[in-house]
Amino acid sequence: MASLTLDGITKSYGKTRALTELSLTVADGEFFVILGPSGAGKTTTLKSVAGLEPIDAGTVHIGGTDMTGVEPYRRNVAMAFESYALYPQRTVFDNLASPLRSGRTGTYTAEQQQKRIGEVTDTLGISHLLQRFPRELSNGQRQRVALGRVLVRPAGAYLLDEPLSHLDAKLRAAMRAELKQLGAMSSTTTLYVTHDYQEALALGDRIAVLRAGRVVQVGTAAEIWSRPVDTFVARALGQPEMTLLSATVHDGRIRTADGAVDVAAPTGLPRGDVLLGLRPRAVGLGHRDDALTVDGTVRLAERLGRLVELTVRSGDTDVVAVVESAAAPAEDSTVTLSVPTGEVHVFVGDRRWGSLAGKEDHDA
Amino acid sequence: MARRVLGPGQKRVSAGGVAADTVTVLWFVFALFPIVWMFLLSLKNNVQQTSTYFGFTPTWTNYLTVLGSKGEQLTSVDFKSAVLTSVLACAGATAVSLVVGIPAAYAAGRWKYKGSESLMFQMLSFRFAPELMVIVPLFVIYHYLHLFDTTVGLIWVLQLVTMPLVVWILRSYFQDLSPELEQAALLDGYTRVRAFFTVALPLVRPGIAAAALLAFIFAWNNYIFPLILTDSNATTVTVAVTKFLGGGGQAYYNLTAAAALLGVLPPLVLALCIQRYLVRGLSFGAVKS
Repeated sequence: MASLTLDGITKSYGKTRALTELSLTVADGEFFVILGPSGAGKTTTLKSVAGLEPIDAGTVHIGGTDMTGVEPYRRNVAMAFESYALYPQRTVFDNLASPLRSGRTGTYTAEQQQKRIGEVTDTLGISHLLQRFPRELSNGQRQRVALGRVLVRPAGAYLLDEPLSHLDAKLRAAMRAELKQLGAMSSTTTLYVTHDYQEALALGDRIAVLRAGRVVQVGTAAEIWSRPVDTFVARALGQPEMTLLSATVHDGRIRTADGAVDVAAPTGLPRGDVLLGLRPRAVGLGHRDDALTVDGTVRLAERLGRLVELTVRSGDTDVVAVVESAAAPAEDSTVTLSVPTGEVHVFVGDRRWGSLAGKEDHDA
Repeated sequence: MARRVLGPGQKRVSAGGVAADTVTVLWFVFALFPIVWMFLLSLKNNVQQTSTYFGFTPTWTNYLTVLGSKGEQLTSVDFKSAVLTSVLACAGATAVSLVVGIPAAYAAGRWKYKGSESLMFQMLSFRFAPELMVIVPLFVIYHYLHLFDTTVGLIWVLQLVTMPLVVWILRSYFQDLSPELEQAALLDGYTRVRAFFTVALPLVRPGIAAAALLAFIFAWNNYIFPLILTDSNATTVTVAVTKFLGGGGQAYYNLTAAAALLGVLPPLVLALCIQRYLVRGLSFGAVKS
């Protein structure tokens, strides 16, 4: 168990900048998620912590010790690779036993190895595969073996690179629920990389959102969801994405060019261009007090089981709303949408200023 | 219009297929004919050896003469000892090339540094520079170092042939191997050396087999180096074969053919032995494709 501190990490591959001045602090035992689109530098961050990629600048501290430039096998961290990286010439059992046999993760008798591997494979549901070779497994099974090779050993930190990405949807949901309850996982510092915002929100004690090698925002799931620091973070979370309406502040009113939105500006909002962000789940049908209202025509109604996703044409823009299917209007009908002022995000120059209810200050 | 129904095992015969098969067969006849001709020649006696007729009295005497068990003529050529020298020199050269070349290929496949490509190219350039270009200085050097006409000297010079081959073949094998496999081993707690031996090396075994076989064959076939750098003590098969052509006296084409065919056997046997290691696809399933 160990805390992780990354300070000012910069890394380039040739002329391509992968990480720029990246700094993160992960507390001892914390489950920390790095969320970002592909190419944001998530894997590079993990490999920097593991020592697999030399970094150009910055320091990595593991458990308070400066580990910058230290060989990977001395860092006492375990990593699950997105590509699994299972040893093809060895059985699943031998793959899982590999970290226990190296002598650097403790000394284990054959019996102790058996016991540890048994526990891990039971949890991951792969105990019937022990004598198989990686080539005989499905991608989902391989991924669980890769995860098992991490969990089977004690480590200062677990580094998990998209460990659920190749499981089918049902299994992924089940594993997501189980992952945090695993004994080893709950007590070991975990750095978890994903591009799936649901995984991030469900698992992370805290989440860092990465874009193009830079940390955009760090915070708890609730903070990142309700107070995204800019439109990038706002759109990275949520499916369907947040609707962004460009509008202008003038004479104490916020108006869109097509006149679809005309609402009182909160005090202190500077004049000029703003973006209004509406989360589809916050958009309701009908009039409400203290709300932003938009009239429009239902262009598309897509059923998502219990809920219906509406695409409503208002003026020149589409507003997406997710509503209960019982109340859902038919396509081509005219509706009034409303969003409580506290849930309308206001962005000035791409940064979040606050909501229609007023200005909010950001810690990050 | 009735369509002919094909029974099990029957295939529709197409004109293109027939043409392709015919061309293939013709090509094989063309390519294999010299070997057939040599085999026939090796069965002819001294009188009939220059006749171009297929009708002759076959005899195994030539093979016995070459192997020295029937000393009629040209016993000065010790073919059996030439085979032994060739086996020792080629096996030695291959072994040294593997011991030095495998780590070199791994380093070349994994790490890029300033000039690494030039270094690899330079190594390859040994292969396309004509051997005659370096043979005169080598001859002088070998005399000074007392390596002339020794097996050790042969092993050393045959490195020029085998080393670039081994390094270039194995480098591509190592490059095909995902570096994340060794990275996983590093995080499992193994040092870089142990990661190389336990993870990377077993996975390139087919490549090692292929490279070793090719290196052996290339060394075996080399003619110029042993011709110039050896005399009677360390004569190789390639040089010994040509000695049956005689120097000024009668040329024994039949003996030459028999010796050449015998000389093909060791690499052929080696190839058959090593064949099962040449299977590719061992690393299938290692990483996501």
